[in-house]
Parts: sequence; structure tokens; C-alpha cells
Amino acid sequence: MTTLTADLTARPVARTHAPLGRLLRSELRLVLRRPRTLIALGLLVLVPVVTGIGIALAANGTLQGPPGADGPGAIAAILNENGLVLPIFVLFVSLQMLLPMMGAMWAADALAGEAASGSLRNLLVAPVGRVRLLAVKAFGVASAVLTGVALLTVSGVLCGLLLLGGDSMITISGTTLSFWPALGRILLMAALVTVQVLAVAAVALAISSITEHPLIVMAVALGGIIVFTVLNAIPALDWLHPLLITDSWSALVDVMRDPMPTDGLVEGVLRALCYMAIGGSLALARMLTKDG
Amino acid sequence: MTTLPGVDRGVNGVAAEAVTPAPSPVAARTRGLRKVYRGTVAVDNVDLDVPDGAVLGMLGPNGSGKTTTIRMLLGLVTPTAGTVELLGHRLPDGAARALPAVGALVEGPGFHPFLSGRENLLRCAAAEPLLATGDVRRAVGEALERVGLADAAHRRYRGYSLGMKQRMGLAAALLIPRRLVVLDEPTNGLDPAGTREVRTVIAELHAAGTTVLVSSHLLAEVEATCTHVAVLHRGSVVAQGPLGELLDSGNDGLLVSTPDAATAVEALRDKRIPARITPDGLRADLAAVSAPEVVAALVHAGVAVHEVRRQRTGLEDLFARLTEAEANGTELSEVAGHVAMAPVEEVTR
Repeated sequence: MTTLTADLTARPVARTHAPLGRLLRSELRLVLRRPRTLIALGLLVLVPVVTGIGIALAANGTLQGPPGADGPGAIAAILNENGLVLPIFVLFVSLQMLLPMMGAMWAADALAGEAASGSLRNLLVAPVGRVRLLAVKAFGVASAVLTGVALLTVSGVLCGLLLLGGDSMITISGTTLSFWPALGRILLMAALVTVQVLAVAAVALAISSITEHPLIVMAVALGGIIVFTVLNAIPALDWLHPLLITDSWSALVDVMRDPMPTDGLVEGVLRALCYMAIGGSLALARMLTKDG
Repeated sequence: MTTLPGVDRGVNGVAAEAVTPAPSPVAARTRGLRKVYRGTVAVDNVDLDVPDGAVLGMLGPNGSGKTTTIRMLLGLVTPTAGTVELLGHRLPDGAARALPAVGALVEGPGFHPFLSGRENLLRCAAAEPLLATGDVRRAVGEALERVGLADAAHRRYRGYSLGMKQRMGLAAALLIPRRLVVLDEPTNGLDPAGTREVRTVIAELHAAGTTVLVSSHLLAEVEATCTHVAVLHRGSVVAQGPLGELLDSGNDGLLVSTPDAATAVEALRDKRIPARITPDGLRADLAAVSAPEVVAALVHAGVAVHEVRRQRTGLEDLFARLTEAEANGTELSEVAGHVAMAPVEEVTR
């Protein structure tokens, strides 16, 4: 007690915030020690393993799709003996549902989960300012997403090289990229996928700040993706498509073309940034007025 | 309504002043506090004063607005109307200045089930502004020791008993020395030994000059640990003030055990002291005289006095009167004015 007395009187301005680095480390520890995070990350490592083994077993090229087809079929068609395409393939496929679901899960745990367990109050009365708290939580979610995409990519590259072989990449345009440019394409794909998942996670974080039921966050995020996918498949609604985030996801196949058309990719990034801005502002507005 | 006549009535006034940098006679003060949840008035017009250095017991039936008031006091909830001043800082703007010196256990303990007790506290400690990074582990160890969880610190919080979870909440509130500690129902789920430990912790905090705000529905608990009491009912403060003052506000009496009650009453009536015969003696009214005068009168009259007890208003009766009054349509202020006088005995020797 005497030490505090001394502290308070000795320093005219007592600290009002815990060091940001300490908060971020603590959040990272929490996110990466949560059992379901570990299971999710393990699953992401396994996706390329299972896909790679499956393709290697079907070595006779049974996965050949119709020539000129787009989407996953087009990528899968050229996978055999073309291992460096595997990471791009699994990133593309995982982006359609698995990665957004995990992003939503991490966002759900970040605020709604903590509110449900009552631990959010501990942070608010510590106090961690509400803007800071949101920043720390967004950092935690982003770290988990980055870790997930990184693990998926690394596992994809390793499995591709080990299970399918080949040290260059045959694009769907029919050209061949040597190892390093191929690796560049893989990293570009990983970055673009990360941006898309972060956009979903940002919106999920906004929902997470509104409710204290993590399940609602998951339901809204997954339901949203499914509805968007359906809307995106209806040609009569093409006026609506530029608004749908899922519209950017099929365009990612362009990474596999040579030369690479960038219009769709840039548009996808811009659309994702819009979603992040909307999600971020909603979450911020809610955090500032939220009852803890 | 009984309000505080003087704000510097804190029992440990000197110690309390020592930890107060600004001239703030109250640790916390609310004025006209009101909170409406979707048309339901949870708290209405609460003027609460938590004197510096006091142990204020907040009493009230379930749903009387205790927790809502506490949550507004801590800046967790924005009031619909009214003001909150915490450690001399107006909320919400001063929250960042005031809250670091406030420890709180609100609405039960909230921790991550998959982390151990120590890991959970490390997380709380990381968020404490007044805790230097180098001191985090030591502070967590000490807090665990203090609440008796040191041996279970490595176990997952999921496996803790209700009492252990409650202790964790207490440990988080006590991570660093505080100026104000707010405990919402701290003895929930604790066994008698745990309850006693909480009482000890509160006494230690009080001795160190820390202001304590403890909400409870356990009246004996409050009567044993608190210096001040605030009674909430249906979202309003119906009485507050020093515990002794509230209890004394009823008609005090002196219970005298004597074999010859008739003689004794005679003797007292000669001295114009109102008294009446009870089964094992008599009861003298202390409204106009003091206890020694009554005893002196009896002894001078040669009455054999076996035992003399002060008859005081019990907190339970006070509480019952205050919280049941509204149900009967009685004016609350009226009741608070002449508080009950019922037999909870206290020996005066």
C-alpha cells in the first residue's frame, strides 16, 4: 500500500494505459493458446496434405477438366506433375468457405466470446480504452488469419513439391514459370487471400461487438457468404455483383494466368478494403457506446 | 432520506487522506443517476456517496439496481442521466485517470476456461496501467497467494470450483494496491471459511486506507464488515450513512435482567425514566437518558441487576422496514426518518 502511495504522489501524472506491446503480446498468447485456434491451424496444415495425396493417387490425370474451364476445375486440371500449383489451388478452394469461416470464428471469440465469459469487463475496468481494446482485438484476429494463411501456403508448397513434384509452374495460359517467379505468384495469391479473409473478419468483428453470442457471429458470417455466393450465381442480378465480396474470390484465378490480368485482382482488393472500412467503423461505433 | 451529514467521516480518515492526491473527500459520488433499459427503469435518481476510506455496504434485494449502479460507477455502462465522479474524476472522460486505481469484481468472475488461473491473472495484469512490466509475475503470484489459490494456479480455470472462481475474481481486483476496491457479491459461492477470508481481506484493505464498496444481500456480512451502508430498493437509494448512525436512528432501549422488576420500574419512574416490565426484567427507554444514568438509578434504589443489554436496531430490521415500506405504499423518507427498533441484542458491559 505504501508503494502505491509513493507512486501516486511522486508522479504527478500516473499511467493511464498499459503498454501497448504488453497488451498485444497478451492477446497473441490468448489467441494462439485457445484450443480451437490450434485445431483450426492444424486443419489448415492438413488441407494441402490431403489434397496432395489425393491428386498424387489419381496420378493418371483423372482430374483433367474440360479445356478452357475456369475456377478450381481449371487449376486442378493442371495440378499433376505441377506441384507449385498446389498452394494456389488450396488457397483458392479454402477461400470459398474454410478460411472465411475461421476468420469469423476468431472474430467471434475476440469480442462476443470475451463478453460471454465476462472477461471483457476485466479489460474494460483495467482500464483498456475502448478504441485500444478494439485495436488489440483486431490485431489478434489479423494475427490468427495471417498465421492460418501462412501455414496453409507453406504446407501447400511443401506438399506440392514432395507429393506432386516439379520445380516450375505451368500456368492455365499454357506458359511455364520458373521456380522463383512461381513462388512470387504463390506469395501474391497468399496476400490476396489474406486481404479477402481479413475483410470477412472485419465485418465479423463488427457483429462480434454487437452481440455477446459467438454463435450469432458465425451464423451471420457464414449465412452471408452462402447468400452472397447464391446471389453471385444469378446472372439477372449482375447489377448487384460489384457489391458482393464473393465476386472478388473467383477472380483470384487470374493469378494463374500469364500474362496476369490485374483488373479483377485490384478490384477485389479495393472491394475488400471497403468491407474492412465498413466493418471497422461499425465495430468502432459500437465499442464506444457499448455497455460492458 | 438519510444523507451523509459530513463526508470526512471515514473511520480511517488519516490513512484515507494520505492516498488522496486531490482534495476529494469522497472516493465515489453519483448525482441523479438514472439508467433505463428499453423502457425499464433499472436505476433512478441515485445520489450515492462513498466516503474516502470507508467500507460501504450496498444492500438491496435482487433487482434493486446494485449491480447497475456499480457498472455505471465503473464506466462500464453509460447512464441515461446523472453524473458519476470516481476518485475525483468525472466519468466518462476521467475514466482513464480514475480506473487504474480501482479494483473491481463485478457480476461474478469472468475468465478464460482454457487458461490456468495464473495465465488468466497474467492476462489481467498485462492490462493494468499501474503495473510495471517487470512486476507482473510477482504481482500475480502475490495475488494468488493472498486468495489462497497458489496451489491451484497451474490448473485450468475450467476445473475450478465456484468458490475458487470467486477467489480468482478477488485476486484480479487485488492485483495492485488500489484506492478503491469494488466487490459485487464477493461471497457468492464461498464456504464459511471463504466468507471469513473475504471479511479478512476487506478488513486488511480498510486498515490500509483503501475505500471498499461491497454489495451484498447478506446482511450479517455487511453488518460485520462495513462502516457505512447504502440501502437500494427498486433502483433508488432509500437510506445511506454510517452504519452506527443508521442503526441508532431507531429508538434505543436498555434491557435489564432483574428479579424485582416492579421495584425497578418504580425507581425509574421516580427519576422520570420511561420503562416497562418485560418477561425477564424491564426495558428502559433511552430516548432522553443515557445507559449509565439508568444503571445508577437502579443501583441506588437497591435493585439487583443481573445483566444489562443494549437493545439496538438490527440491520435486518432496518433493511426490512426500508425495502418493504414501498410495497405498502408508505413514504420512504418517512420510514427512513424513524427507522425501526427491533431486538437484535448487543451486550454492553
